Amino acid sequence: MNLVDIIFYFFALITLVSAAITVYSRNIIYSAFSLLFTFFGVAGIYVLLNADFIAVAQILIYVGGILMLLVFGVMLTHKVINVEIKTGILNVVPGSIITAIIGGTLCGVFVVTDWFIVEGVPPIKSTTTEIGTMFMTKYLLPFEIASVVLLVALIGAAYIARRDKSKNQSA
Amino acid sequence: MLEQILQSIKYFQPETALVVSFCLIVIADLFLKKRNELTSYLALIAILITAYFLVQQGTVGTQSIFFDMFAIDPFSLFFKAIILTSSFFVILFSIYSKELQGRPKGIGEYNALIIALTLGMFLMTGATNLLMIYLALELSSLTSYILAGYTNEAKDSSEASLKYIIYGALSSGIMLYGISIIYGLTGSLDLNTVHQALVLQSVNQAALIIAGIFIVVGFGYKISAVPFHFWTPDVYEGAPVTITALLSVASKAAGFAMLIRFIKVTFIDPAIGNLGPGMWAVLRGFDWNFVLAVLSVLSMTIGNLVALSQKNLKRLLAYSSIAHAGYMLMGLVVFSNEGIAAVMIYFIIYLFMNLGAFYVIMLVADRIGSENIDDYRGLGYRTPLIGVSMTIFLLSLTGVPPTAGFIGKLYLFSALISAKVFWLAIVGVLNSVVSLYYYVRVLRNMFLRDPQPNAQPLHFSNMEILILLLLVVPTFLLGLYFTPIVEYAQASIGMFGVR
Repeated sequence: MNLVDIIFYFFALITLVSAAITVYSRNIIYSAFSLLFTFFGVAGIYVLLNADFIAVAQILIYVGGILMLLVFGVMLTHKVINVEIKTGILNVVPGSIITAIIGGTLCGVFVVTDWFIVEGVPPIKSTTTEIGTMFMTKYLLPFEIASVVLLVALIGAAYIARRDKSKNQSA
Repeated sequence: MLEQILQSIKYFQPETALVVSFCLIVIADLFLKKRNELTSYLALIAILITAYFLVQQGTVGTQSIFFDMFAIDPFSLFFKAIILTSSFFVILFSIYSKELQGRPKGIGEYNALIIALTLGMFLMTGATNLLMIYLALELSSLTSYILAGYTNEAKDSSEASLKYIIYGALSSGIMLYGISIIYGLTGSLDLNTVHQALVLQSVNQAALIIAGIFIVVGFGYKISAVPFHFWTPDVYEGAPVTITALLSVASKAAGFAMLIRFIKVTFIDPAIGNLGPGMWAVLRGFDWNFVLAVLSVLSMTIGNLVALSQKNLKRLLAYSSIAHAGYMLMGLVVFSNEGIAAVMIYFIIYLFMNLGAFYVIMLVADRIGSENIDDYRGLGYRTPLIGVSMTIFLLSLTGVPPTAGFIGKLYLFSALISAKVFWLAIVGVLNSVVSLYYYVRVLRNMFLRDPQPNAQPLHFSNMEILILLLLVVPTFLLGLYFTPIVEYAQASIGMFGVR
């Protein structure tokens, strides 16, 4: 096991453990903060994969933007801290059996599979220019469609938010 | 580079028209303020313009544009026509829907989102790259979630939306995982390149099968096949009727188009040709026919059996649409050109009969305020036209001659029989018999039971009756004179990258 492997498992462990805390924690503040480490761990894996731009974007957008908004939202919302969140686990036995079967199959198959590996790629200095060029040439269509998807999501979010306002006024 | 992009834009006019009109409707909504129901007419114009560009493309043949991201071919044109027609009808329905016009505040967003949904489904029919497939799926799913929760005062509409999001997020996550496995095996997301890689190098079959199953989860969710159907009844019941109609026809058509293209381009070796033992040569040791047949039988049987005990008509049609997904999957099991053409013929007919049935539900629910089958008692006497139309739609959904539904089923079964898959044809016929029971139950309530003593006759405006006739007449006529649609469907199976 070389150094890269060790670093990979380190980041993977951070991601998985904090993701588990996010899901299982009964306190929403703990969940929000452990999500920070999940995003951080994923960013670490991106760096390891030489994807510098995506790693920075991950930290800027998810950690810097979305998560901060989430934490502020949680902290500023009245009564959210003491509220009882239902995080019950149902059907433990069949659930864990199915998970074990699927997980075991996946792990077994992935270990024996010959993955597609490109060799002899010269080390890349920075991916940012490359990504920018690709967005405007080969991946132009997905890039533009992604912007439509985001616009739709924005309109939908605004629409759902407006509903609560009108409901409160009528109440 | 630039030349190819400019060339591609030329073939991308229908979709461009949809994007532009989506933005225009959002902006127009800001200015129209009190009169924003006018956006419905803007949306209708947008659809007509898109239809014009689509007709222009009829002579283009097959083209691959935007660096193999998207294909223009007869196959995608066919499904785009289906999707566009159903969007057109659904916007017409919405203009007359009391459920929607009672709350005019968000009608601008509603129309804009229907246009965006149409765009998403257009992209689904032509996407030839797994990245595009995923993006198109997300675009259409996101808009569907919002539209399903549109009448948000109703509690079940919000519940429908939430259930839809949770199932949708899970299945698109699983699908994305499958796509990542395919990328890991072949190093490409382009369907044709993936196919080449699968033919040339021997990849691990077990990993490929897992990837295939995971991706089918995403498609299965979109076409609401059992066992990925759990969202369907709740969403169909809770969403506004217009949206339910759109989801049950257009969304399903887009899902089927994407599934057919994915399987055909990726897994079927064009060199061996259609119909032959080597058809699935790329996937040794795994029986795709069997998987699709199991999905088909499960969808038909569970859909029909659960529909038997439904009291709400929307919920009943939700289960019936699951069963219809099963019937159409039968055409995929044989996967010959004949089978695919049968699925396409079925979609033309399904468009009219299913939209019609939902339209009747909408008209009646606006008048009597109920979707319960028991409240339909004596409806045939209160409004004979609606009663007779509903009879035609329901008999057509069953597949009784001389309605169009019979022709659809006939072609599906004959495709099965010429491929010698007799057992599946028998299961299909038995299921049709079961479905007769619950469709006829509605008819019995309408005609053989007396109306409530104080029930008044129902009245409809001329325009509402005109829209109804636009749906009834094809449902009836296509059962008698069906050569044009059969020829059109058979001419439209040409797909980019498949000979």
